[in-house]
Amino acid sequence: MRLSRRGLLRAGLAGTAATALGGLTSGCAVPTGSTGRNMVLWYWDGGLGDTVVKKAKARYDSSVDLQAIKIGGYYRSKLITTLAGRAHIPDIAGLKGEDMASYLPDADQFVDLRTLGADKYESRYLPWKWRQGIADDGRMVGFPIDCGPVAHFYQYEVFRKAGLPYEPADVSKELNTWENFFAAGERLRKRIPGTSLLTDVNSVFENVVQQGAKRYVDKDRHFIGDQEHVRHAWALAVEAKRRGIVSNLVTGTPDQISAVDTGKLPSQLGASWATYDIKNGNPKTKGRWRIADMPVRPSNNGGSFLSITKACREPQQAFEIISWMLDAANQASGYVDAGLFPSTPASYGLRQLREPDPFFGGQVTTDVFGPAAQKIAVAYNSPFDVALGQPIKDEIKNVGVLGKDPDKAWSDAMSKCRRIAKHLGVSH
Amino acid sequence: MATALEKPPVVAERTPTARPRSGMRKYWHLYAAISPFYLLFLAFGLVPVGFSLYLSFHRWDGLGSMEWAGLSQYRYLLSDSDFWSSIGTTLIIWALATFPMIFLAMVTAVMLNSAVRFKNVYRFAYFLPNVTSVVAIAIVFGSVFSTNFGLVNALLQAVGLDQVAWLNTPWGIKVAIATLMTWQWTGYNAIIFLAGLQTVPSELYEAARVDGANPVQTFFRITLPLLRPTLLFVLVVSTVTGLQSFTEAQVLLQNTSNDSTFSGGPGHAGRTMVLYFFQQTFDNNDFGYGAAVAWGIFLVVVIFSIINWRLVRRRGED
Repeated sequence: MRLSRRGLLRAGLAGTAATALGGLTSGCAVPTGSTGRNMVLWYWDGGLGDTVVKKAKARYDSSVDLQAIKIGGYYRSKLITTLAGRAHIPDIAGLKGEDMASYLPDADQFVDLRTLGADKYESRYLPWKWRQGIADDGRMVGFPIDCGPVAHFYQYEVFRKAGLPYEPADVSKELNTWENFFAAGERLRKRIPGTSLLTDVNSVFENVVQQGAKRYVDKDRHFIGDQEHVRHAWALAVEAKRRGIVSNLVTGTPDQISAVDTGKLPSQLGASWATYDIKNGNPKTKGRWRIADMPVRPSNNGGSFLSITKACREPQQAFEIISWMLDAANQASGYVDAGLFPSTPASYGLRQLREPDPFFGGQVTTDVFGPAAQKIAVAYNSPFDVALGQPIKDEIKNVGVLGKDPDKAWSDAMSKCRRIAKHLGVSH
Repeated sequence: MATALEKPPVVAERTPTARPRSGMRKYWHLYAAISPFYLLFLAFGLVPVGFSLYLSFHRWDGLGSMEWAGLSQYRYLLSDSDFWSSIGTTLIIWALATFPMIFLAMVTAVMLNSAVRFKNVYRFAYFLPNVTSVVAIAIVFGSVFSTNFGLVNALLQAVGLDQVAWLNTPWGIKVAIATLMTWQWTGYNAIIFLAGLQTVPSELYEAARVDGANPVQTFFRITLPLLRPTLLFVLVVSTVTGLQSFTEAQVLLQNTSNDSTFSGGPGHAGRTMVLYFFQQTFDNNDFGYGAAVAWGIFLVVVIFSIINWRLVRRRGED
């Protein structure tokens, strides 16, 4: 009796230890991707419309169990940890637009969607968006979900009181250059003291950079953040500060939210998804807003992709699912569910996108966002743009908020960029 | 009969010469019993720590292949003015938070020690901030320190002072973060001090009273010297946690979704060492350099822990 109990204990402990050590040392016990009939899809809250996910699950039920999992927290770091760990990798993975450039150098982690017949869908999607999902070597990693065309949001009554154009068509037409836009800001401040056209200088700087086709690092891994396109954006941001059209508030703080509520900040340059931010953050302003074109030309902010990982056992099946989930009709339903502005121009004429929005005084906002989405420039986004853009954005913020001397700020930004470029192996 | 025969070898095993050879065989089940902790520590503690050291000698974007970088990450770390300024920022915030916190915690502990009623209610109330989510606290403090509607500015204006744009000026940011940390840790450390206070023998206080010492004298001549080990503990723990502060600054200063949430506010005034580490690793995807920064932080924390320890110990020896 005593012996057998000890033997049992011994066997149990040995078994536990073997399992623990086995799990640590040999990867073969852990499946790389999904198993059985499962098809695992990773996305984040609001990354896809609920209706589309539910419909896809039912539609493909005969061949696969589509398991759509919402991953909370810091999505990118969880995805790359899983990919690098080579265990339990999802078959289909959402990729956020702002992270896209940093996934592309590792295109070999994903299935090249062109090999699955993606080319025949290209004409149905926004060309600049389609290009964003393709790596330097031509491999296609991301299939377009949504995009984030930027427009000019403004409060109708405040503009009218300030003697500015106030009908969307007039605002689009008259505030079509940065000069006119800034002049309108000066007039606004003169007519209604204490009012600012924009929250901070960064919205000017970043949108001007985003309007163009160049960012901070080019395809040849060369730093271009010291060139004319960035200097121009910098000069406009400094001018916005000098002419006093920006507030000294920080976006998202109680002070800023209240200033928006009371009409002290009656205007902003926001992407299509910002309509949701305003509705949630400033519910009291319902009906006061209108949307017009941004000065000069539209830019893009955000918008994501779906990809198929190398661990997927049935890429063809996965591709069929994602190309169906992201067709024009389903993108329109994603717009209704989650405010995902479609990357398929055919959606813009559909009923779901033609609804007048009472929050915007009954305006059909697609009339502005739709044409804007089609006018966005094709740009090259480098994986080094984040590291080499941040010092410049930080310094323009110092000019805007701390009143730092613009020349000193620019030279500080450039010397910091040179140092970082050298460290990252980016030429300058 | 059988038991009588078995006994002698057991005794023989207990002799010093036999122990080293057969200790493992004899006590293996005891080792097995304590092994879960060590196995878990190995998997989730030691291996990642070792890997981060390995990583710091490489260049890696977190996904592709690693590239040997030798000591270049550390060479860059030494010349990286942003890293050095983040050390300065962390130390200033740490000092602004820790010294008031220790003073307040000590006062609170003495008061708790002499409280007659609702002792446990007070202890619970003072401990509560420490178990509250830092994210929730930071959101509340964001409102407390807001420029036009914040409680702090309302108080300043009530006594006739000007508004301060707390979260928009370099010193305001540091003070706001330090206040948050002070608020969060005072109660916790007060409980620790209280435990220390209760180990002071009451005869000493009685003797002091008989000798005619007043409460202040009693505190400085009896309580404080005997609390030195507790003070050392509190100081070391505050140094280790304070030098690794991250969430406070991150949540308090997080900006629009488009901006980096690790930039630490205007002028990087709130960019602590760990925040800088996060920015390098997760914004820039520079995992190799991030690992080097993490080891830099480790060294700074070790150095300051040693300084603290020596300072308090030397005073103890005088």
